[in-house]
Amino acid sequence: MPIPNGGLITETNEQYYAGAQRFISDGNGVITTTFNTDLILGSFDPNALNYTLNNFKLYTSKTGLPGKYEEYTLAYTVVNNVITFAVAPDAGDYIAVQLKILNGGSFGVEDASGTAIGTAVEENYGSYSYTPLTEVIDGFMAVYVGEHKLIADIKRTDVIFHAKRGLQEFSYDTLKSIKSQELTISPALSATIPQDYVNYVNISYIDSMGVKHPIYPANNLTIAPYEVPLQDDDGNPTMDNFGDNLEGSSQTLERWASANDSLLNGNITAEEYFAYSGWLTGNPFLGQKYGNDPQYAQKNGWFNMNERDGTIAFSSNLKDRLIVLEYISDGLAYDLDMRIPKMAEDALYAHMLYSILASRINQPEYVVQRLKKDRSAKLRNAKIRLSNIKLSEIVQVMRGKSKWIKS
Amino acid sequence: MAVNVDIVYKTVLLILNKEQRGNLSPDEFNKVATQVQLEIFESYFDSLNQQIRRPDNDTEYADRVKNIDNNVSIFKEYGNATYVAGGSHFTLPTTSGASVATQTLTGNGTAISFPFTSISSSQLSNGVIAVTIGGVSTTAFTISGTNIIFSSIPANLAAIVVTATPRDFYKLGTVIYQDSKEVQLSRRNELLYLNLNPLIAPTTTYPVYLLEDNKLYLYPKTITSDITVSYLRKPADVTWNFTIPTGQNYYQYNPTNSANFELSPTEQSNIVLKILLYSGVIIRDPSIVNIAAQQVQQENQRSTI
Repeated sequence: MPIPNGGLITETNEQYYAGAQRFISDGNGVITTTFNTDLILGSFDPNALNYTLNNFKLYTSKTGLPGKYEEYTLAYTVVNNVITFAVAPDAGDYIAVQLKILNGGSFGVEDASGTAIGTAVEENYGSYSYTPLTEVIDGFMAVYVGEHKLIADIKRTDVIFHAKRGLQEFSYDTLKSIKSQELTISPALSATIPQDYVNYVNISYIDSMGVKHPIYPANNLTIAPYEVPLQDDDGNPTMDNFGDNLEGSSQTLERWASANDSLLNGNITAEEYFAYSGWLTGNPFLGQKYGNDPQYAQKNGWFNMNERDGTIAFSSNLKDRLIVLEYISDGLAYDLDMRIPKMAEDALYAHMLYSILASRINQPEYVVQRLKKDRSAKLRNAKIRLSNIKLSEIVQVMRGKSKWIKS
Repeated sequence: MAVNVDIVYKTVLLILNKEQRGNLSPDEFNKVATQVQLEIFESYFDSLNQQIRRPDNDTEYADRVKNIDNNVSIFKEYGNATYVAGGSHFTLPTTSGASVATQTLTGNGTAISFPFTSISSSQLSNGVIAVTIGGVSTTAFTISGTNIIFSSIPANLAAIVVTATPRDFYKLGTVIYQDSKEVQLSRRNELLYLNLNPLIAPTTTYPVYLLEDNKLYLYPKTITSDITVSYLRKPADVTWNFTIPTGQNYYQYNPTNSANFELSPTEQSNIVLKILLYSGVIIRDPSIVNIAAQQVQQENQRSTI
């Protein structure tokens, strides 16, 4: 069905896959695009600084034939996805709006300046599996609020608050973690916490084959001190002229950065064994790692959160390594984030309904309890759905049970 | 769909049994009728408030909420709010454009002042006056009593059109941004907290407004246009206009420049009863309603013979 016909899909195949919409000019100089993506216009002038802010390019052609489109660089404005030309193209001219796409689209000449290279189209891919938070809020106001309903009247800001809080809570433990960053560990052995970071999910280093190896939290091995006051000879903190404690650099971090990880995880060489045999427990060459805590018996490396600097600190064996930081945000950092997977949409409605009625006066307790159970059940359903458990995949994993393990 | 003012007036006179005796003069009737219309109009909102608390039905014609809403719908309007840059606020529409009184005059090349004959003094004092001379809008005039005085003498045979549009804004309904987003009403103290919390701070997607001194203050403040409002207008004043036939001493109904009741036709008996009450007759017997209905029927029959 290439043409939207009243269903939830509102884009044509060309709009979705190619990020393009074509028009034939009627001579009035006004066209309205119907992409899911709102048009962003920094400037129509390629020589202007803000031109790079555009998330689309505009092309015109007299014939509409492939390879005959040229970028339109004369004056025009965009308001609410309505493009108004200062000088209307001739009636019958072909006009193409091309959202920026990784391959540049098929209208401009094939070089970096002629084609519309960007990621606007890719950001829309897969969007059908999500519902924007604004639609959830509007739907809630329309369907759950009114006379003869559980919520007769409510301020929209209350609904917005509970919807956003719900999305935050769902982001922490229900929704899929899709945020990740590929980083290289600097000589300082640290990486800055991402701007929209709430908590980490996994940190792994990537080997030469692209395989990821989990890095584990340092837990009790070390710590990043939050304050490092400079002390006088009596051990008291010293202050500056403004009465604030003077701060120094952390020796704990310095020592951790220069530590030999092998001595912690037991992955030592023969030389190291003889060098440190005085205090090592057991003989690792004889399989006698007595006293070695299993949680530290790994050679991938460690990380710990340095709240003082707002960074993630890594153990010294990870220097210059490529790592991937998988983390969760709260779903509210960017406009594009503010959406809920359709498989958890009903759970969010249930959450909002319960949260609103639970905070209202004179609500029958049985209603509140019913909604609480409803919320809980729907949240559980959402978790199961989002866990993406497929029978065939489980079968594939379980096939390993019959594998012989040789000793 | 309106209630004919002539039928109501004559029914009232018949029931009072005072026709031709002049006890309820047209001027008295007009004042009482306007008052009654406003009273019935105002009663809709309390009735609606009561009805929405009761169990409802969705039948076609017996849904009380729907019926009251139908009665109110006659007065529903939709208009633009105007941004005042200096005050950073929007002003509400003042006129709906309904029931505009118009007078057409012709310049004679000598007169600078013209009397109004089809625009009443109350319409002049309560209306927005617009004047065109030869199709060109002008503000070079003053209104003095029931006369318009121009700053310069209009040309001979110049077509002068004067319109008095009543200031009939009554009750604010919904404030709408960009024809698609409802703007939420807030209060000054509440707005402080809204602005301090990024989760619920006003945005162009979910804006809020304050209503103070009939002005709309929109937040976020980047909103300076595209605000429309739904509102209710006041019912227009009722007028039973008349002429006195030459050589006679009675009032003859003149449909020109008369204004009917704007209420739903179903309100006719209610209007008659209330006017009777205001006319000094205390109606405590429902049979008087039947009498009024019979009189209306007889009057209709007489007028069609």
